[in-house]
Amino acid sequence: MEVKPNETKQISPFFVFFLMPGMQIGVGILGFERIIAKESGQDAWISVLISGLIINVLLWMCFKLLGRGPQTLDLVAIHKDLFGKWVGNAFNILFILYFIMISIILIRTYLEVIQVWMFPGVNVLMLITIILILVYRFVEGGFRVITGFCIIGLMIGSPLFLLNYFPLKYAHFENLGPFLDHSFLEIMKACKKMTLNYLGFELILIYYPFIKNREKSQKWAHLGALFTMVIYVVSILVSLAYYHQDQLKDVIWATLTLWKIVDLPFIERFEYIGISVWLFMVLPNVCLGVWAASRTAKRVFGYRQKKMLVLILIIILVSCIFLDNRYRIDKFNTISSQIGFYIVYLYLPLLFIWQSIVYKFRGHKS
Amino acid sequence: MRFFKGKREMDSASFQVTSKDFQELLKKFKTSDDFLTFQFPNDDGYIISYFNSLVSVQQLHEQVLAVMSNQPKKVLKQLKGDIPMEDMKLTADLKDIQRLVLEGSIMIQYKQDDEMCLLIPCVHSVKRQISTPESEYTVVGSKEAFVESLDSNLNLIRNRLPTPELQSKEFRVGSISQTRIAVLYIDGVVNQQIIKTVIQRIEDIEYDTIVDISFVSQMITDNRNSMFPQLIDTERPDHLASVLSEGKIGIMLDGSPHALVGPNTIISFFSSFEDYFQIWNLGTSFRLIRLFAVLFSVLSSPLYVAVLTYHYQVIPTDLLPILISSRGVIPFPPILEAIVLEGTIELLREAAVRLPAKVGSTIGIVGGIVIGSAAVEAGFVSNVLLMLVALAALASFTVPIYQISNTIRLIRFPFLIAAQLYGLFGIALCSAFILSHLLKLTSLGSPYLDPLYPLRIHDFKDSLIRLPFSKQKKRPQFLRTENPLRIRKEAEKRNTRNDIDE
Repeated sequence: MEVKPNETKQISPFFVFFLMPGMQIGVGILGFERIIAKESGQDAWISVLISGLIINVLLWMCFKLLGRGPQTLDLVAIHKDLFGKWVGNAFNILFILYFIMISIILIRTYLEVIQVWMFPGVNVLMLITIILILVYRFVEGGFRVITGFCIIGLMIGSPLFLLNYFPLKYAHFENLGPFLDHSFLEIMKACKKMTLNYLGFELILIYYPFIKNREKSQKWAHLGALFTMVIYVVSILVSLAYYHQDQLKDVIWATLTLWKIVDLPFIERFEYIGISVWLFMVLPNVCLGVWAASRTAKRVFGYRQKKMLVLILIIILVSCIFLDNRYRIDKFNTISSQIGFYIVYLYLPLLFIWQSIVYKFRGHKS
Repeated sequence: MRFFKGKREMDSASFQVTSKDFQELLKKFKTSDDFLTFQFPNDDGYIISYFNSLVSVQQLHEQVLAVMSNQPKKVLKQLKGDIPMEDMKLTADLKDIQRLVLEGSIMIQYKQDDEMCLLIPCVHSVKRQISTPESEYTVVGSKEAFVESLDSNLNLIRNRLPTPELQSKEFRVGSISQTRIAVLYIDGVVNQQIIKTVIQRIEDIEYDTIVDISFVSQMITDNRNSMFPQLIDTERPDHLASVLSEGKIGIMLDGSPHALVGPNTIISFFSSFEDYFQIWNLGTSFRLIRLFAVLFSVLSSPLYVAVLTYHYQVIPTDLLPILISSRGVIPFPPILEAIVLEGTIELLREAAVRLPAKVGSTIGIVGGIVIGSAAVEAGFVSNVLLMLVALAALASFTVPIYQISNTIRLIRFPFLIAAQLYGLFGIALCSAFILSHLLKLTSLGSPYLDPLYPLRIHDFKDSLIRLPFSKQKKRPQFLRTENPLRIRKEAEKRNTRNDIDE
């Protein structure tokens, strides 16, 4: 099974710019401030900045991983190349589970927002079913359709970033000082907490074969990741300037709460609109995650991707039934943040080093 | 006037012959009472037969019978030389005979039961005069519209595009109707792949009678179940001529006063041809107003239902008393109120379309004023919603293409139901469902959502906005034309910018 998508199924390298933030910005941004600020206080934005830069380094590694070998165009091929069929497939299955996990977090957390802010008594099972049907419709269209959804979702969702203007009217920029008041360890701890929000860039390992003129895509990928970073840094700066530190500790959904103060002559309580429109930011993430999982599953097990897709959606549905209260969701979030952290910060660099060693060895041989 | 004579021969293969031999065919013809057979000039003369409903009697008298009557009987080959008519055919081929006689040719045999016939085209066709466009009327611009005759329509197009590159490929569709259908395009501009697709799909059409181009439209579109039309049908020859030079293709059917145009993007359904008759900034503004009107028309009543059912907090305090006083006495939930009113509007529209024009306007007045105000006074619906629904109906009339306005009419009902189920979030869900459909949709193989996706910055120059003609140097990218340049010569650049008072 080699990866050779038809040219009509491929996307131009420019679109990678949208795929990066499309996958990285999801529900996390609605409430990441509290968790980061808990660790590094007013210096939280530095952590966001640093981890954003680290992500770019990791992204560079991903491109190196993909570009070195002649046939290693995606993760499955890399694993097979480095570890052989059986061990490689074991790693692949881990990654499938990881992608499914990301999708579950995204859907469940977004639904929690809806439960808390809009419909406290909503039938979660029914809503999840509807959303999963929607996901099926997008993923069934293939990678091009998902990319289109990312781009259009970003177009529809990004005006919401302009809402940051409203809290700025009440901002106290002195909240940001004193500068660098926290230890290096504290800042790095916050960086670790920030990982979950930046996750998603590693999907490049799956969709790389779907890019036309792949070499040109790296520039756009880095720009996209930097764009995500800018969005996060601006968000946290606004939150830090608006809230007092002690207050921020108690605000679970900081960005969402900021939408409440949007004041327009014809609309009050803007967050109702904001949360609804945010669907167009969250759903592309879920679709990409599910697509990546089903694509990898297809490459590993050799079944039709549609069958795999249905199976994965059922897994997500069942898992969401078990995640039925705040406590469990939070715990699941923490665990998956940990897993994500180790996969991205530990596994990827190790894989990178291992590949370097193997290739050097092979180079000597030939 | 007839163009493309040669092409007629080619498609004779697709013509089905149901008779076994010549005699059987003749017998079939003769059973019909409008088929005439007689001998001329005397009892020993040629046998002339034709459908008198199809043949121009005047031409027959002047060009054919006049020549025959003064001469002794000759063989058909010689006779062919004497008659001053074009495109005659001497043949014994059953297919040709059946086709040409049914198209309005006169059949001349030397003697009874002779299978060799001379076929003289002598068509008498009933044509409507070219009139003004009705569904795409514009204040300025040409006042010609297509008519039912394919030849007249081709004439209108060829007069506008006098270039040998303008090609027409003719086919016949319908096993009974054998309707002529023509695919028009400009060679060297249009992408050959699109033509191949269209021709393939036309050849695949299997149906007995094709009476209108909308039949063809439904049979050759990419997604045959989509509510969103993928091919525009136009009645304006200037519209067709201009999109042909853009690199699109046109399809015309004999007997239908419309032409199909494709491939299209969703934006092209909201752009009126009149936008090009105005200066670009006005044209752009009206186009944007129209797009806004469409969004308003689809979303206004669902938003009303969503906000009043779930999110009354969104309404500012100053606005709340007005809504309360208008809705306070209404016994129904907002969704019922909205469905009743939207249903009424749909009823009125349908009634107004079916009725003759003069009665139709009365329906509008009765419906709009009498029923509406009565419903509000009786306390069935709130006047705020009445206003919204009426505005939405008005907004939906700004859409220049008839087919998509039907889509807009219907699409608000799923939105209403979604709004009732999950409020604003439901509206977002419903939009996402529609987006998932639109993203997959293609028009003759081109993506439907261009230039939004695939994001093509160049194509924005004539989509949501319309830039001046000097900026339209390139043809739209989504058409993948063979010659992307519209303006060949670079406009002379002014090197020195004029300063004040120079």
